[in-house]
Amino acid sequence: MSSVAIAEHPHADSREFTAQPLGKVGVWWFLASEIMVFGGLIGSYILSRIAAGGWVAERAHVNTRIAIINTIVLVTSSFTVVKAHAAAEADDRERTRWFMLATVLLGCTFLCIKGFEYSREIEHGFTPATSLFWSFYYTMTGLHGLHVLVGIIINFALFLAVGGGGWPRIKHRIEYAGLYWHFVDVVWIFLFPLLYLA
Amino acid sequence: MSSVAKPSVGYLTIWVWLLVLLAAGVALLAVPSKTLAVVLIFTVASVKAFLVLRHYMHVRHQPLMVYALLAVPLLLAIALTIVLLPDIAFR
Repeated sequence: MSSVAIAEHPHADSREFTAQPLGKVGVWWFLASEIMVFGGLIGSYILSRIAAGGWVAERAHVNTRIAIINTIVLVTSSFTVVKAHAAAEADDRERTRWFMLATVLLGCTFLCIKGFEYSREIEHGFTPATSLFWSFYYTMTGLHGLHVLVGIIINFALFLAVGGGGWPRIKHRIEYAGLYWHFVDVVWIFLFPLLYLA
Repeated sequence: MSSVAKPSVGYLTIWVWLLVLLAAGVALLAVPSKTLAVVLIFTVASVKAFLVLRHYMHVRHQPLMVYALLAVPLLLAIALTIVLLPDIAFR
């Protein structure tokens, strides 16, 4: 993209690369790097699990019921964030705000349930130091939870911003935040069977 | 959506499918063969991820560049696991 073209578009969101806004390309790049982070972690988990036996017995102590509820919460939040995006594209600010708020609340619910789950596990003596399985469990779910927390902060900031000015730019950002949130959901879709079912 | 237009399948329908597949994944624990159950559980998980990518992240409307961006780290992560597998499995 030429410098002239950039000068014509003062906002980063309106600049394009291969017909994509630069901000969106940036989000895809970020998500690609995140695939490597979680992919490396999941690969290490699979290899360690193959190398050492006895993980099924360890896995039996995790609470699958709570994880199922949390999966439903996260999948539902993916639905609300895509609805927020659709409402933003339809220029319906009110619906956008409600769906963003619903996403934030569902994200908070996910973290609260996860916190409750952690407290029960620690209460029963399962800490990161207990075994390699629990070490992986806390690392993977903890890193994922951190991503959920970041997503909540971004979505909440956008929820507040929807009521203010700069609507065209905020519309783009809702889409970008949605991409990130869906990615967090996809990661959980694989963490759930890895840690709770297999 | 700018890059999305009208979804061919409703978002609510996809949400229902995701919940149905979640239930299916959990029900697969009842499969007697442990190996078969694991294979099926991860097949179901992959279908769920595909639905989110296709219908919620609208990947099908993205240019080739996005596919390349996502495929490279994914293949690298898979390759990394596979090339290390013999050392783990056959030592």
